[in-house]
Amino acid sequence: MIEKDPITGVETTGHVWDDNIQEFHNPLPRWWLWTFYATVVFAIIYWVIYPSWPVGSTFIKGINTITYQTDAGEEVTSHWNTRALLARDMQTGKSAMAQKAYLNEIAATSYDDIAKDADKLAFVESYGNGVFGEYCAACHQSGAGGVVGEYPNLIDDDWLWGGAPHEIETTLKIGRIGFMPAYEETFNDAQLTQVANYVLSMSGEKSDPALAAAGEEIFHGQTGGCHYCHTNEGTGLKSQGAANLTDKIWTIADVRGAETDEQRLERVKSVIHNGVNRVMPAWSSRLSDTEIKVLTAYLLNKRAGGQ
Amino acid sequence: MAHSSAGSVEQYNYDIVKKFAIASLIWGIAGMFTGVWLASELAWPFLNFDIAQITFGRLRPVHTSGVIFGFGGNALFATSFYVVQRTCQARLAGSRNAHYFMFYGWNGALIIAGIGYMMGITQAREYAEPEWYVDIMITLVWLVYFWVFVTTITRRNQPHIYVANWFYMAFILATAILHIFNNLAVPVSFTGAKSYSLFAGAQDAMTQWWYGHNAVGFFLTAAFLGMMYYFVPKQAGRPVYSYRLSIVHFWALGFMYMWVGTHHLHWTAIPDWTSSLAAVFSILLLMPSWGGMINGIMTLSGAWDKLRTDPIMMFMITALSFYGMSTFEGPMMALKEVNALSHYTDWTVGHVHSGALGWVALITIGSFYHMIPKLWNTELYSMRLVKLHFFVATLGIILYITAMWSSGIGQGMMLREFDEYGNLANTFISTVTFMHAPLVARAIGGMFFVSGMLLMAFNIYMTIRNAKREPAVGSVAQTVNA
Repeated sequence: MIEKDPITGVETTGHVWDDNIQEFHNPLPRWWLWTFYATVVFAIIYWVIYPSWPVGSTFIKGINTITYQTDAGEEVTSHWNTRALLARDMQTGKSAMAQKAYLNEIAATSYDDIAKDADKLAFVESYGNGVFGEYCAACHQSGAGGVVGEYPNLIDDDWLWGGAPHEIETTLKIGRIGFMPAYEETFNDAQLTQVANYVLSMSGEKSDPALAAAGEEIFHGQTGGCHYCHTNEGTGLKSQGAANLTDKIWTIADVRGAETDEQRLERVKSVIHNGVNRVMPAWSSRLSDTEIKVLTAYLLNKRAGGQ
Repeated sequence: MAHSSAGSVEQYNYDIVKKFAIASLIWGIAGMFTGVWLASELAWPFLNFDIAQITFGRLRPVHTSGVIFGFGGNALFATSFYVVQRTCQARLAGSRNAHYFMFYGWNGALIIAGIGYMMGITQAREYAEPEWYVDIMITLVWLVYFWVFVTTITRRNQPHIYVANWFYMAFILATAILHIFNNLAVPVSFTGAKSYSLFAGAQDAMTQWWYGHNAVGFFLTAAFLGMMYYFVPKQAGRPVYSYRLSIVHFWALGFMYMWVGTHHLHWTAIPDWTSSLAAVFSILLLMPSWGGMINGIMTLSGAWDKLRTDPIMMFMITALSFYGMSTFEGPMMALKEVNALSHYTDWTVGHVHSGALGWVALITIGSFYHMIPKLWNTELYSMRLVKLHFFVATLGIILYITAMWSSGIGQGMMLREFDEYGNLANTFISTVTFMHAPLVARAIGGMFFVSGMLLMAFNIYMTIRNAKREPAVGSVAQTVNA
């Protein structure tokens, strides 16, 4: 039964459900209807401008065009599409252009000249922060300080594989496999203690002179053969990534972080016992030569005390 | 008015409605607690304790399935069976076995799926994570659901089918189609969990997001509009604002939603025309969505005072307001330019939760506060607790959404910022560091919302306990309320 609502004066449709659910005969709200029509107009305009409806095996391209260069350097005008949009942005965008100009300059400048040029250094700092932050910081930490025993510190003066620009470049490009054999089956515990005492003595750490003397013999003799890689002087061999044992910089055994003499000895023994097996990935397939150059300059600048 | 006997306990099958309603509350609390745990893991990562089963990737589908299909799904079974019986004036079709099959089948499937997620068993399709054997269980349950619902409607003692039932019907039908097509897969072996999708590459992604967005459209929108169309006029005691609007927005909503899924794949390796179509249909979807909001809110005209006096009404109207807000935000985010900023950030997460908490959960909570006392033929234990629940829940949602806007828009801006040298100004990790404070605020927002659910559980428990003690009380009150 159609009723007239006493409050609003609007008629109901006459349907009644569940005792008292009814419906009013109100028209569509005007503003609702006109806003809906407006969205329809928007839709049609959008379809005219941009790629929209599929037709057979192709689609309506839209009237909007975009001009860009192909990889071969040819200028092409096509209907608006996402790939062309990216290509054009990389070829003409303000940021992309600025970055490209700087990268070209860096590629043509020597490391010495980069270090003297404040503007180029500022670019290296900005670009390096990004590349280092995305690719390197996960291991070497955000400040490049590394983790003793796990990932080398890149801001000290001890470079296992060499710290000259061309050496850093090579390390970045081809990666490194840091390896020292485990001596767990070669040395008994007494021998481990002797060699560890000798290693500690080389850096001037507290050690037992008698044990260190015995260790020295093993180090330089056939039993240990340590001198093959660490050299007779104990200063290491960059071609092998063998650590310098005399420079008081501890890259694998965390001697500096130990609190007691026993701990220091144990940590050195542990490295000799277990050996070392570390991998730095090769980046040449992911970073361009110029990017590797920027990253090298970034590290050199960091080591020189730049931010 | 006719049919004064409507609502008597004997006339309708309330047993199955009660079961689904209680299950919904249990899933709600469990699923939302899992959500708070996950939010806390994002703010304080140590909270996964290095236990593989509770790391973010494995626990997240437990949360999403728990709240969407556990809380939401059970609530839809419960309310659709309640509404279809009362508006058709017909007892629910199907035997007790059929009803139990739906109840245990649905909830069993969810439990098997959830345990599987934690063990790493997943199809890796968002919101369709269950593997093939659970998909088959769900399909069987759904076919029975479809049959029971349609048969009840055909046995109605009313000339017209009420609008709420159109929406429930559309939800059941669309969900069946979406579920079946998105889960077409070939098991590696009938004795193993793993299967491979029938589709590949871009087609696979587009099928998944056709499903994914219409799970939002039909499961979380159309179905809950059905809920709204019954419980809002019932609670307000006022006629639905416009019959005509309900027809127009029903068909417009159903038609538009099916096109928009691809907006989840903007700027990826899909044809550009699919992207434009999805963006445009998302804009066209705005007014059809708002039709439901207008019809719900305007139903209160002539009874606006209830917004001050009736806490249940506060839940419902706030739900409709959040529905309006998130269905405006959605089309905007579906525009490619906006999406370029918002996609893959917490803005998306905030948008989903303004819909899921603001709309879906609040309308369900309001409807349950109305329905549960009627099921047990009693009155609510405490209306003051309902009011407290309302404020705790609303505060939680607002905290949640604003935190996600800060986190998402902030991260989006940082990721696209260039410095004077033409380099990206921020690393990814620096954007993550920036997000910590908003992520903490979001976790707190979630805790508020779960606290509200615990208040509700207590209130409902006391209501049912009192009803069992004094079975006669409430029949008078019910007649007044009805």
